[in-house]
Amino acid sequence: MDFILQQFINGVTVGGIYALIALGYTMVYGVLKLINFAHGDLCILGAFIGLTTLTSGIFGGLSTPVLLILAFLIAMIVIAVAGTLLDQFAYKPLRKAPRLSAVVSALGASMLIQNGIMLIWSPNVQVFPNDLLPNITWQIGGAYLSFVQLLIIAGAFALMAGLYFFVHHTRVGTAIRATAIDQDAARLMGVNVNRVIAMVFIIGPVLGAVGGLFIGLYYRQTYFTMGWSYGLSAFIAAIIGGIGNIPGAMLGGLLLGLFNAFAAGYVSSSWQDAITFALLIAILLVRPTGLLGERVAEKV
Amino acid sequence: MNTAVSQPSGHDADVLLELDGIGISFGGLRAVDDLSFKIRRGEIVGLIGPNGAGKTTVFNMITGVYRPTDGHIRWHGRDITGFAPHRIAAAGIRRTFQTIRLFQDMTVLENVIAGQHLRMRQSWWQGLLNTPAQRREERELIERAMTVLQQLDLADVAHEIATSLPYGAQRRVEMARTLVAEPELIILDEPAAGLNEQESAGLNDTIRAIRDKGITVILVEHDMSVVMNVTDNIVVINFGKKIAEGKPADIRSNPLVIEAYLGQDDDEDDPLMNTVKDQVNA
Amino acid sequence: MDKHINPSTRAPSGTARVLRLAGPALWALGLLIPQLLSPAWITIGGIFAIYSIVALSQDIVLGRAGMYDMGHAVFFGIGAYTCAILSLFYNWPVLWTIPVAILLAAALGAILSAPIVKLRGDYLLVVTIGFNAIFVLAMQNNLFGLTGGADGLFGVSGPTLFGHMFGTQSDLFYLDWIVLAIVLWLMRNLDRSSLGRTFRYLKHDELAATTLGVNARNYKVAAFALSAGLAGLAGTLFAMQLSAVSPGSFRFTDSVVLFAIVLVGGQASVPGVLLGTAMMFVVPQIFTEFAQYRYLAFGVAMILVMILRPQGIWPARKGVI
Repeated sequence: MDFILQQFINGVTVGGIYALIALGYTMVYGVLKLINFAHGDLCILGAFIGLTTLTSGIFGGLSTPVLLILAFLIAMIVIAVAGTLLDQFAYKPLRKAPRLSAVVSALGASMLIQNGIMLIWSPNVQVFPNDLLPNITWQIGGAYLSFVQLLIIAGAFALMAGLYFFVHHTRVGTAIRATAIDQDAARLMGVNVNRVIAMVFIIGPVLGAVGGLFIGLYYRQTYFTMGWSYGLSAFIAAIIGGIGNIPGAMLGGLLLGLFNAFAAGYVSSSWQDAITFALLIAILLVRPTGLLGERVAEKV
Repeated sequence: MNTAVSQPSGHDADVLLELDGIGISFGGLRAVDDLSFKIRRGEIVGLIGPNGAGKTTVFNMITGVYRPTDGHIRWHGRDITGFAPHRIAAAGIRRTFQTIRLFQDMTVLENVIAGQHLRMRQSWWQGLLNTPAQRREERELIERAMTVLQQLDLADVAHEIATSLPYGAQRRVEMARTLVAEPELIILDEPAAGLNEQESAGLNDTIRAIRDKGITVILVEHDMSVVMNVTDNIVVINFGKKIAEGKPADIRSNPLVIEAYLGQDDDEDDPLMNTVKDQVNA
Repeated sequence: MDKHINPSTRAPSGTARVLRLAGPALWALGLLIPQLLSPAWITIGGIFAIYSIVALSQDIVLGRAGMYDMGHAVFFGIGAYTCAILSLFYNWPVLWTIPVAILLAAALGAILSAPIVKLRGDYLLVVTIGFNAIFVLAMQNNLFGLTGGADGLFGVSGPTLFGHMFGTQSDLFYLDWIVLAIVLWLMRNLDRSSLGRTFRYLKHDELAATTLGVNARNYKVAAFALSAGLAGLAGTLFAMQLSAVSPGSFRFTDSVVLFAIVLVGGQASVPGVLLGTAMMFVVPQIFTEFAQYRYLAFGVAMILVMILRPQGIWPARKGVI
């Protein structure tokens, strides 16, 4: 029972991170039908930016909590800008181009960002200072909940709740949903599609940057290829939930986190990822639209 | 079921294609409902109806693009309902498309050769190794394609990129692609769309020439100068149901048909309506 | 009209004629590399030949048949590992591993593709990524104790013919270069055969192709199998060239590079694909001090080419006949 509770805690923590990153994939896909391969790299760039803010010494005089908040803010802002630039330079010129062109451009952007990180910071693992967060751990039953886990869970859920509210109860959010369903119809209804796309490339990266920095704080390290590995997991989560579907990405992220946590207890970690991929393939073969995705009838 | 003015006559042994109560729904929309008619060897049959009546859907069901949810389609008495498109093609049924589907970035000759796909005997490794047998077959394929292109006056554009030709020529290329396969039944989906009067007249000649070769034709068309002049029998559908069937002269004066067209929003360019209006006012 | 019809093929234009000669001439020139250039270049030449073969195989499934295969490194890896495992653990002569590797890779290509060719482009792409990932993990986990774990397997020797071992870099270069010529010849034949045409029909308009009698599923699987077999062939050469195989050579990044080479170089264009391979594998060798920027540069190139020249740097000639 304790074991289950512990895995549950671990799973929800990692799941929250996956969900934050998955939202970026799903929002971009929903609106542009494009797999933003560069998203994972943007997220981990958030971790690097955060790390630099925390360790650069420029803000030496600040207390740790303020420094942390600042790190998050700066990461969010920088990655929001990066996401916007990404769209402007790599995707926007290809709006009318065939799908494949945008795919290749996205892959190129991913390579660019990933290697840019490697060249700017270093190919080595970057370690986070271990005195950033209070070393408190609570005991629940026989399981342990650490401060960082609580922070991540609370932060992820707060952001997800905020996003859900935003998407369902504001005009801009509704515009985003409309654009995802049918871009042309939305445009005809007066939605400024370009503005919607611009928003998506801010919200997604911002959430992802938080997710990335959470990764750094949780594992106390980051390195330049993590964007690829976490990005892929988050992407799988988005597909499981139904690519293009916002609640789906949240659900998919949590489920994947839980799955990984529980599987880790029974299966060696080296096979864990293989099982995740097998699961992904199975889902795509049986129900490609994911758990919450709509079954869309295609007109020939 | 329907109040056809006259039934087409002929022996049932000659029935090539039979639609028996076929129907299909798309989500909540009943696109075609309980449709039945027969096509006999050597006939030219027209399928007409107002826009959105379901004509292309019927063709898509015959050619295997859609699977009917009800009813049966029989070819030479054999049930071919729900067969995949490539099996329908193998059975001897070919079609053209409303929106001309030629292969881009390929020449007219390559497009027409595509129609002979099922004729090919060369195996994949013979192709990869460029064996003499394969080369011989390639020459034959090209020769046969050129013959058909000659007949349709396209020989001199054989090496042009097919999609760079004017619209009327592209239609002929698509036609050539179906003819080169020597099918038993050809389905023409709005072959006169985008053609001027002169080209439409030429189309009528082409369709008759096809029939003279022994190929049965079924076509969907809005241009009444084609339908009325070239078909032996006409089937009229509206809202996915058959409302009339008979010879062109009978269909022209069939009150149900007139109502189906007149009941639409005012379409002054609809030739049938004008024909009908003229007759009614005469 | 009883005029005798000449089955006509298009008279090649002047440029086309020059290019047709240039290809074989360049290849012949390449044979001189071991005589003229330093040992480093002999290895680069060999690597270029090997990756050209893989890239051409990627072009079959992606550029010609139009399927988004982004896990192609799997088949490359299957070929390499088959060669290594059979020769190291079962003492097979290396030359005999080649046909087995080709057949095994082709069979795997057929088996893996059969359930997935019906999927829409994006989904197919993701599934192939999944296959690639599973393969790498399986190799890393020392499957059946045969695959050597994360470090892979070492000690693959060159082929032995008539008792003489052809193991030097020069020997391997000639082997690679000759196999490349064979593959180029196969690609040329593919273009002129109905198989090649049928792939193109499927790529341009699958629906129209099926109404002409093309069994789309069979041909799509065939495209995968053929391209997998060629990639497997390249894999055996790779194993010999490096004397080793490891999972690190067959990862997602490697599949992405192959995918990008086809699109950046020019889909269904042999010169385009060769050019793309040269850009990715040869050019960085020239500027060795910039080698760490290789992926960065390629990433930028991918974006720029898609925006500025979407048809690829050297697009295929339209219309073969």
